[in-house]
Amino acid sequence: MASAAAPDHLFNLRINFYLGSYQSAINNSDLPNLSPDDAVERDCLVYRSYIALGSYQLVINEIDSSAATPLQAVKLLAKYLANPHDKESTIASLKEWLADPAIGNNATLRLIAGIVFMYEEDYIEALKHTNAGGTMELHALNVQIFIKMHRSDYAEKQLRVMQQVDEDHTLTQLANAWLNLAVGGSKIQEAYLIFQDFSEKYPMTGLILNGKAVCCMHMGNFDEAETLLLEALNKASSNGGNQIFISLDLNL
Amino acid sequence: MLTKFETKSNRVKGLSFHSKRPWILASLHSGVIQLWDFRMGTLIDRFDEHDGPVRGVHFHMSQPLFVSGGDDYKIKVWNYKLHRCLFTLLGHLDYIRTVQFHHEHPWIVSASDDQTIRIWNWQSRTCISVLTGHNHYVMCASFHPKEDLVVSASLDQTVRVWDIGSLKKKTSSPVDDILRLSQMNSDLFGGVDVIVKYVLEGHDRGVNWAAFHPTLPLIVSGADDRQVKLWRMNDTKAWEVDTLRGHMNNVSCVMFHPKQDIIISNSEDKSIRVWDGTKRTGLQTFRREHDRFWILAVHPEMNVLAAGHDSGMIVFKLERERPAFAVSGDSLFYAKDRFLRYYDFLTQTESQALTIRRPGSTTLNQSPRTLSYSPTENAVLICSDVDGGSYELYVIPKDNIGRGDNLQEAKKGLGSSAIFVARNRFAVLDKGNNQVLIKNLKNEVVKKSGLPVTTDAIFYAGTGNLLCRSEDRVVIFDLQQRLVLGDLQTPFVRYVVWSNDMETVALLSKHTIVITNKKLVHQCTLHETIRVKSGAWDDNGVFIYTTLNHIKYCLPNGDSGIIRTLDVPIYITKVSGNTVFCLDRDGKNKTIVIDATEFIFKLSLLRKRYDQVMSMIRNSQLCGEAMIAYLQQKGFPEVALHFVKDEKTRFKLALESGNIQIAVASAKEIDDKDHWYRLGVEALRQGNAGIVEYAYQRTKNFERLSFLYLINGNLEKLSKMLKIAEVKNDVMGQFHNALYLGDIQERVKILENAGHLPLAYITASVHGLHDVAERLASQLGNDVPPLPEGKEPSLLMPPAPVTCGGDWPLLRVMKGIFDGGLDSIGRGAVDEEEEEEDAGGDWGEDLDVVDVDGLQNGDVTEILEYGEVAEENEEEGGWDLEDLELPPEVDTPKVSGGARSSIFVAPTPGMPVSQIWIQKSSLAAEHAAAGNFDTAMRLLNRQLGIRNFAPLKSMFLDLHTGSQSYLRAYSSVPVVSLAIERGWSESASPNVRCPPALVFNFSQLDEKLKAGYKATKAGKFTEGLRLFVSILHTIPLIVVESRREVDEVKELIIIAKEYVLGLQMELKRREMKDDPVRQQELAAYFTHCNLQMPHLRLALQNAMVVCSKAKNWATAGNFARRLLETNPTNENQAKAARQVLQAAERNMTDAVQLNYDFRNPFVTCGATYVPIYRGQKDVSCPYCTTRFVPSQEGQLCSVCDLAVVGADASGLLCSPSQIR
Repeated sequence: MASAAAPDHLFNLRINFYLGSYQSAINNSDLPNLSPDDAVERDCLVYRSYIALGSYQLVINEIDSSAATPLQAVKLLAKYLANPHDKESTIASLKEWLADPAIGNNATLRLIAGIVFMYEEDYIEALKHTNAGGTMELHALNVQIFIKMHRSDYAEKQLRVMQQVDEDHTLTQLANAWLNLAVGGSKIQEAYLIFQDFSEKYPMTGLILNGKAVCCMHMGNFDEAETLLLEALNKASSNGGNQIFISLDLNL
Repeated sequence: MLTKFETKSNRVKGLSFHSKRPWILASLHSGVIQLWDFRMGTLIDRFDEHDGPVRGVHFHMSQPLFVSGGDDYKIKVWNYKLHRCLFTLLGHLDYIRTVQFHHEHPWIVSASDDQTIRIWNWQSRTCISVLTGHNHYVMCASFHPKEDLVVSASLDQTVRVWDIGSLKKKTSSPVDDILRLSQMNSDLFGGVDVIVKYVLEGHDRGVNWAAFHPTLPLIVSGADDRQVKLWRMNDTKAWEVDTLRGHMNNVSCVMFHPKQDIIISNSEDKSIRVWDGTKRTGLQTFRREHDRFWILAVHPEMNVLAAGHDSGMIVFKLERERPAFAVSGDSLFYAKDRFLRYYDFLTQTESQALTIRRPGSTTLNQSPRTLSYSPTENAVLICSDVDGGSYELYVIPKDNIGRGDNLQEAKKGLGSSAIFVARNRFAVLDKGNNQVLIKNLKNEVVKKSGLPVTTDAIFYAGTGNLLCRSEDRVVIFDLQQRLVLGDLQTPFVRYVVWSNDMETVALLSKHTIVITNKKLVHQCTLHETIRVKSGAWDDNGVFIYTTLNHIKYCLPNGDSGIIRTLDVPIYITKVSGNTVFCLDRDGKNKTIVIDATEFIFKLSLLRKRYDQVMSMIRNSQLCGEAMIAYLQQKGFPEVALHFVKDEKTRFKLALESGNIQIAVASAKEIDDKDHWYRLGVEALRQGNAGIVEYAYQRTKNFERLSFLYLINGNLEKLSKMLKIAEVKNDVMGQFHNALYLGDIQERVKILENAGHLPLAYITASVHGLHDVAERLASQLGNDVPPLPEGKEPSLLMPPAPVTCGGDWPLLRVMKGIFDGGLDSIGRGAVDEEEEEEDAGGDWGEDLDVVDVDGLQNGDVTEILEYGEVAEENEEEGGWDLEDLELPPEVDTPKVSGGARSSIFVAPTPGMPVSQIWIQKSSLAAEHAAAGNFDTAMRLLNRQLGIRNFAPLKSMFLDLHTGSQSYLRAYSSVPVVSLAIERGWSESASPNVRCPPALVFNFSQLDEKLKAGYKATKAGKFTEGLRLFVSILHTIPLIVVESRREVDEVKELIIIAKEYVLGLQMELKRREMKDDPVRQQELAAYFTHCNLQMPHLRLALQNAMVVCSKAKNWATAGNFARRLLETNPTNENQAKAARQVLQAAERNMTDAVQLNYDFRNPFVTCGATYVPIYRGQKDVSCPYCTTRFVPSQEGQLCSVCDLAVVGADASGLLCSPSQIR
């Protein structure tokens, strides 16, 4: 009768986080009966949601020096994003931690390193820490880095790895959509379908809407893209970029 | 075997289906004949007149008759409508085994243990033939369905076929019958009418049953030798074809299936067997524990059979008749025979999609059971019971729909149900391990997941979810989270129908429908007495469903009703508006138009959409008791009021809804006491005293009326009442009224008149009317009653009423929506678009020939100012190369890092899409889109000699941003920018780059041109100029596809240039109010720009007016002539021109000399606005081709404001087709 594997307590939290509904990730994070590891992961996701919402200071204040390594890494990311002027010192301590054999291999730390170096546009350095993979998140980040480097061939390899681990994982699907968009052509439609699947299955988020809109734009369907983006705009305010030239495309 | 209906009774020996109705007759060993409705499962009637077992029974094809024959040697003909036996046919000398009506003649054939078969005419009620020859009991006899044959089976081990052709001839005249009646006895043995055609010998024991094939010359027989034999016959002989062995005991009955190639037999071995008619092998066996089977019956039309056994009978089907189907959007996929077919709801056309596996004929019920379809992948899962439950996966080739002749090898697997759970994933139920396997389209297992409850079927429940059915409950299970999302106790669910928005679901069981939301939270349950068959959601959230014989609806609150009845069961596939799409049992698509008014009306009420309710009340004819009752029950008597014509009902409803006005009107119509009374009661409740009074008056209810007046304090009327009572001689009434009035004298008088002297005396004395009292005392004499002692008398006076007369404050009656709402049907205020074009708004300056001095300047200054501002704007912000930051992608990446990592070598960054664009293209627009502004500028400079890029700056930026999209991928990670390409199509192959999407295109320019024309016509020159200039500025960044379009673009440059030049001159002219000569010149040059005809006319008129005002009559005359040559459509224009021409002819001189020779062709210099006559030297702009006087060489072109006059340029390049 009982299912083979235990139910995944953090499932909804992760989905919310990956799909960009950060507020509901934060709101629904109060989960009972978590193992210590799960609790740390939960905290990471919650704080990263706060970061995604721009509440850097809150994260910096709440994570104290006794917290676990992953949390420290998250705090580092918050610091990096909060003080663009003082990023050198953040990067310095990041490098220092990465060099520490005790914690240097921590997945979250490596993930944060990848993100920070992506901001620095130092993709080579980012890959140095992330390419080994280990978690779905790291793989997904790799895919994105490769896309940024315009190396869709490498991105595809990463995606293959993810698909072998779990083809139906949300991140696998997302990464697949990113790659499809990057390579273009008939793949655009597949990307659209992936976002469409998400929108059927989960509440609409800005991220999904934006994804769909981008697909629509690539397919030359600017009217639909505009509706989607306007909807996204109601939900979140981080899609300004696309909005601008949609209006260009439509009105000129 | 699918049992549809079962009865428990005495042994059933005879069975007969009704040809039209769902009825079956069962004759019992106890002598009773039962009439059942097997669909409803009810006993309709029983007929109990036979004495002893009834072995044969048969319905007539068309008349309301049936015949029965029993062990009492009697054949009875019954009328089931009259519920009685009409007559009895006597003649057989032993038990009667079977009876049967002929399909067209008024005949009955009967078989009896007296070794004869008799044929009777039931109209003349005589025996017309006795068939002798069998030398043992005749167990059965039946007519051939078409030919003049009878087949019989006997315990003498033979089957006989009789030719009754001669009988038919003889009975053509009814007189014959009577004639033959006398001959009967002589014919009794060795009759001449009917002869034995064939005697079929082969069975080793007595034969119990023989039957004809409905169409082929075949006979099947069953005997006590436990065998079923198949015989074939032709015109001359009959022979045994095959023997079907398998029964373990006497075969009691055997028949051909009316539609399929199968034989059904039953036996005393307690089994029913189904045989393949061609292969003659056993297909299936159904056994009963304790009951021997005696009889079979097949329905002539419907696909049902019946079998009688020791303790009752069963009505059953051999195969499911529901076609498997799946609906997706506007398409329906369904299985029919060995094809998967496709039906389009929009066009209502159907076509073949695929050939699927041929349903195996080894066993029955192997046809597809369920279908699941994935629209995006165009894949179909077909589940059937083959191999104990298996599925097949087909992918429909996209281009092949409609042909579907190819046989595709399906991907197969075992599993009792399989459904798509996502675009490219399907779940297969593994009952044994109670788990589902998630598979991909390659039929590979991706995942396994245990199920939370013991599941025997799975249904779709949204992406990634399953609806698991177990015996008494359903569960929605999230496959990814392995979580139960919803759980509900229900009867055994057969079908699941989701609403279009996937928010609600209908769970169909055999006799119930449960409607829940997507989390299985119960919303309502419907119980049906008849089997529920199918259903679909309509667009309004009403569930339309079918039972065996009805189409019904169910509203969200659980209210349901019948829409219409059905003759045959159908399976609803989709409901769209008034149209119900369905499949019938033969797999044909049908559409049924239903009257949706009733349920839409109820739905509107339910949703409180009273405006719709009102309009429906007005426009449709949904009346009827049921609707009124419904409205009353639902608390909408006021709505019901609108339907009703019948005054009594109307009155009732009016009272119920408190609508006193309507109630009064109705009461007047009805005018009977009871209604007036009820009206009075309601009016009293509402406090409407006027109506109450009226009602009481109408009913002459004086007591109540008096009391009402008392309460109202209406003393005047009260005293009137007193008089009325007096007139009517109603003492009691008088007294009451007097009491209410407090009129003691009156009371005493009344008492006195009524003869109650003692009472009158006491009243008088108590109230101190001593004189009266004394008078009365004297009359009473000795009988003066003693006054009560020790009591303080008080005067009884009615209290003063709070309000006098009129109504009390009225109760507030709910009126609102329906009374007022009737009128407020929305008035669509259509904004009339104003007729916009008023030619010559600013062309103004009407010609006034008489008053030549009246110079009008209009509001030119304002416009000029505007123009200046615009110019200033254009000047600012010169092209500044340093402003431009190259997009980050172009940055050369740092390669240094690579060496540091020993194991992992990071790949070198690839080439950004924008770079690919640049490499491929020499079109400036594409370079700009790629963000390579410097090369774009270089290209433009080379191609068009453009040096001033300031006007293009914003367009460059637009192009660049417009060709990028930004994907927010991972949280807190920089966005990914993606290049948008032009001309995307579904079939484009990935990784092949198309040119960038550009924000400017040719059609936009076309619109601008039109706007420019319009502005020019309206005289908004600054606006027009702005538009034409912007056309000129956009063209360098236009990309078109074909050569032809290139030519169009080039044409457009010329048009725009001419207008820009013309409008610039016209604006300049208006600036120069104090220089009439120059004004005239500019107006003249303007007329030589290549303009549209209406614009040219206006320009000519303008020039004409200007010149005539300056008394340059000759020139003005020339303009007038040219104007007239264009045949102006505007009469005023023409008139003015003629006037000028007349004036000019009188005076063919010019007051001032102009630099203008209209005879000599010329072009106007774009900068200095002087004519350059043919043959004079000039230079031109390499882009817009405007000509200039040579001194302008090297200057910026003043028309397009882009290129350098006289510069070298290779020409416009705006299409890839120019390069190829």
